[in-house]
Parts: sequence; structure tokens; C-alpha cells
Amino acid sequence: MNIVSVKDLRKVYDDKPVVDGVSFSVKKGEVFGILGPNGAGKTTTLEMLETLRPIDGGSATIDGIDVAKNPDAIKRLIGVQPQTPAFQDKTTLKEVIELFAAAYGEKVDVLQFLRDVDLEEKAGNYVEQLSGGQKQRLSITTALVHGPKVFFLDEPTTGLDPQARRHLWDLIRTIRDKGVSVIMTTHYMDEAEMLCDRIAVMDNGKIVALDTPKNLIKALLKRGFKKTQQVEQANLEDVFIDLTGKALRD
Amino acid sequence: MNKSLYTILTFARINTRRFFRDRIAIFFGILFPLIFLFVFGGIFGNNSQANFHVSLINNSKSDFAKQFVDQLKKESAFKIDEDDKTLDAAKEKMVRSQIDATIILPDNFGAIDQATQTPKGQAEVYYTQNTQQSGQTMTTIIDGVFRDINKNITHAAEPFTVVGKQINQKSLTSFDYTFAGLLGFALLGMGIFGPVNVFPELKKQGILRRLSTTPLKVWQYFCSMAISQSIIGLVSIAVMFIVALTVFKLEVVGNVLVLVAFLVLAIIEILGIGLAIGGWARNERQAAPLSNIITFPMMFLSGTFFPRFLMPEWLQGATAYLPLTPVIDGIRYIVNEGYGLTQLGPQIGLMLGWTVVIYIIAFRVFRWE
Repeated sequence: MNIVSVKDLRKVYDDKPVVDGVSFSVKKGEVFGILGPNGAGKTTTLEMLETLRPIDGGSATIDGIDVAKNPDAIKRLIGVQPQTPAFQDKTTLKEVIELFAAAYGEKVDVLQFLRDVDLEEKAGNYVEQLSGGQKQRLSITTALVHGPKVFFLDEPTTGLDPQARRHLWDLIRTIRDKGVSVIMTTHYMDEAEMLCDRIAVMDNGKIVALDTPKNLIKALLKRGFKKTQQVEQANLEDVFIDLTGKALRD
Repeated sequence: MNKSLYTILTFARINTRRFFRDRIAIFFGILFPLIFLFVFGGIFGNNSQANFHVSLINNSKSDFAKQFVDQLKKESAFKIDEDDKTLDAAKEKMVRSQIDATIILPDNFGAIDQATQTPKGQAEVYYTQNTQQSGQTMTTIIDGVFRDINKNITHAAEPFTVVGKQINQKSLTSFDYTFAGLLGFALLGMGIFGPVNVFPELKKQGILRRLSTTPLKVWQYFCSMAISQSIIGLVSIAVMFIVALTVFKLEVVGNVLVLVAFLVLAIIEILGIGLAIGGWARNERQAAPLSNIITFPMMFLSGTFFPRFLMPEWLQGATAYLPLTPVIDGIRYIVNEGYGLTQLGPQIGLMLGWTVVIYIIAFRVFRWE
């Protein structure tokens, strides 16, 4: 069942098409990755779906609701994780959750939401005392306070250490397993390969390929692609994790 | 509870708490206006009558001259300085405006006239081109002193005299004026510079943008700001009142509840200007100049630091309709003259009008990023 369907989506800045006829659909409980070099139109595509940018052409629906026509209803269906999460300082983690829930007019079990992202013991701390990874986790849980059906993440693991990245992957899988559809962008191919059920590769505002990671690799090999290097049994990241362990750091 | 109301109250509650945790915010919101209160209270607080700062050079050795000097020193309109020995030294001070004028008693002043057996002499008052008025006033005052002396010597009856009588009523002291202005200044500081400094930062960090992906409405956000700003503003003003009452002996005639209600309206009105500027500006470079262009003229033209009646008439007429003018006038009417809300109709009407206009603009120009 498709929860998100995008048809021929377009965005034009100064006569230059930034998103140029993008179409895809996302199933319920799927992690959908959007890859592409900087300036490919990934973030703009997300922002149109998030109601942050007006849609210049084409259409997008989430859970059957038209994004352009009913942004208020869409806002209640989606959770958004920005590229660099930031919170007003001198606010406790507890208050941050309260604020975001209140933005939806709701009152929630604050500690449960903090527990979900391993931040329960920091409930009384100010946000400025958190590390980058902890801020990411707090931001994720604030995006879920209202039980959204679609969760958008824009480069969620940029700047995180390998432990925090792995922890975030687990978190995203947990969210998916609860039936939430996840749409994310990333620059890390290993991340996309491990995490995403399907991937759209964008370039110059267009989708140039859309399939599961396995099929995309297969298709490439079928075209006769060969790596010049021998595939190694382990890489440097495996060494790093072996030396420093998988335990999450602050 | 209504969901919208819950949203507004939660944002207001946490925003207020954040203010009181932030030492820098407390400094600018509460201590900074207090510093101004002490500075201006220090300047205008002591209602001394010394209107003229005068250098006195007594070159005469007569008894009469000595008595005359003692008499002058008792005159409350003068602050007498006997440091200068020559007119040149005094002149230098006059040129620098350190003193208003110089009185010289020549060496023959008060010498006994052989013909009448009474003392006589002529005092000289020197003043500069810029202090003509003070010089002439002083000449008149000294003339009055001499007339009394002359009367005692000649015993001649004077057909026309004038006498000053104090009426049994207080007028506003300069501190009373200053205080209402300082409250206005504090309101400007919190209401305008608060959001103008905070919003661009929130936009830069993407905090407002993140909020815009939630169903939170601009009006809900503004309402929560208005509530917390009113609480913070009332606390700040209460502190100023306590200092003014205890240190500067401010006389309050009016009703405190009337004042609180009036101040809440004033805070909301002024905050709207800050919300409009901060909400419109994409960054500090847009916010800072615009807020200065709007705030500084208002600060000086609305009677914050000096009373508006000192302005030329055309300027008084024009500045009467500024958003801050009815606020300062109203505070003065309540605190010093005990006006009730009904008597403040013109002020409240003008403020409500501005509030509507300002918030319409603020809603229109608001940008989440």
C-alpha cells in the first residue's frame, strides 16, 4: 500500500528547474532513500513534501491527502528531522518534548519518548549540554510525539561518529518496524545499502534510477561493471568498530 | 481544555521559565533599566533649587561686602563659588559653561559715603553671549536684594511691591516625569529588542523552521510570546517601582490594578513592533538597523527622557500619535495624577488602534526562516 505518491513534482528557482518532474511512491513501513550529489534537488523535494516550499508543478499526496491543498492536515501526518537539529538553549529535554507535543495540541508521556531514544536520564538537562548524536536522537523523538505516518530525515548521520551512526540506524529500523514510512536523504552509500528498502538516485533535479539497493547493484554488474580492486574481507570501519566497540558514546 | 489554549499556555510557560534561567536576559530585561533608573534618578532626583552656578569675586574689605556675600550665599537660587580670584580665571570657566556668570564686588564696594554716612557701591555681573538670560535674571535678583537693603537704609516706603506665595498643591517633580519615561524605555527595550535579537538567531539555527513543520500557528506563537512578555515585563517594572519608591521617594497617587492593566496593554502593543521587525527580518543585518530606525526616534520623541512640552508645538502635535506617546502619558496620568481607566480613553484608544495595525503588519510580514 502506498502512503506517499509523488507525480511529476517540479520546483523552479529563477527559471532554473531544481526539481524537474520527479515521480515516486513510498509504501507503508518502508525506508525510502533519496541519494544524489549536492544540488541534485533532494532537499528541495523533501521540503515540498514537508509543506515548507510551495509546489510549482505536479502533485504529491500523503495518506491520500493533497500536500499543496491541505498543508495543515499534512503537518499532522508527518514528522520532520532537519539536517542540523537545534533547540533554544536554557530548555530542558523534558520541556522540549512538552513544547513539540503542545505544538500539536497534545500532552504526552514525556519520559517514555525520552526512553525511546536512551535519553531518559538527561530529562532535566539543558539541550546545550547534549552531544551531536544526542541532539539527533532528541530531534528524532520530538518528530514522533504526535505519531506521524511518514517520517522525513535529511542527512541524519552527517557528522556523527560510527557508534552514533549505528545506533541511529537501529533507531530508524525500530521506527520503521512500528509501521512508519521513512523517507531519508544521505551521502553515505553504506548507510543507504544497509538501511534503505528502496533507493531513488537523483541528479540535476531528476530521478535517474529507482530500485532496491540489491537490484541497482545487480543491474550495474549486468552492464559489465568490474571493480578494479579486489573486494576485501574487512574494511577500516570494521577495524574501528572492532577496536572501539559498538557501545554508544556521548 | 481547549487544544489551542493548551498550546499557547505551554509555550508561554516554558518561554517565561527560559527567561529567568538566562542571566544575560535578566541583565538586559531587569538590571539594565534599573541602571538607567539610578542614573536618571541621580540627575533629576534631588530637586535642588540651585539654578545658577556663580563665581563670586569679592575685592572689597568692607563689613558691608562681607555681610552681602553671606546674604547671597543664603539665596537658594545661587550656587556660589569663591575659588576664582580674578575675572580672567572666572571668564575661562564661563566660556566652558562651568559657571553661568560672575559677580564682582569692586574694592570700594560698601565703603561709607562721607556725605550720607551710609554704605554704597555697585556690584558687577558678567555673563557671556550665550548666558544673557541667566545674567539678566541674576541682575534682577541682586537688584531685589539691593532694594531691600536700600529700603532699610533710606526708610523710604515703596508704592509697588510684589510677593511670591506658594500654593498648597504639588506639581510634578522632574523625577516623576523621568520615571514614567524610564518605564517606557524599559518597555521598548524588552518589547522590541527582545524579539529583534532572538528571532534572527532562531531563524539562523532553523528552530522556527522546524516549528513551521508542526501545526503551530503564527497567532498561537504570538499569543504565547505576549503572555510571557507581559509576565516578564511586569516583574521588571515591579522591580523598578520598588527602587523608585524606596530610593527616590516616588509618589504614587494612582491605583496599582489600573496601572497593571494599562501596562499589559502597553507591553502587548510594543511587543508587536518587535514581533513585526524580528518576524520579518531574515537575519541580524536586517533586524538591527530597522529596529534602531524605529526605536530611537520614538525614544526621544515620545517623552521618554524629557517631557514633550519642551518641544516646538508642531512637533508636539506630530509626536502625540506615536505608539509610545500614549503609553508614557498614560503611565504619568495613572502614577502621578491617579487617573482611572475611563479617564484614559484617548490613550487606550490610540494604543488599541496601534496594536491592531502593528499586529496586522506583524502577521503579514512574519517569516519562519
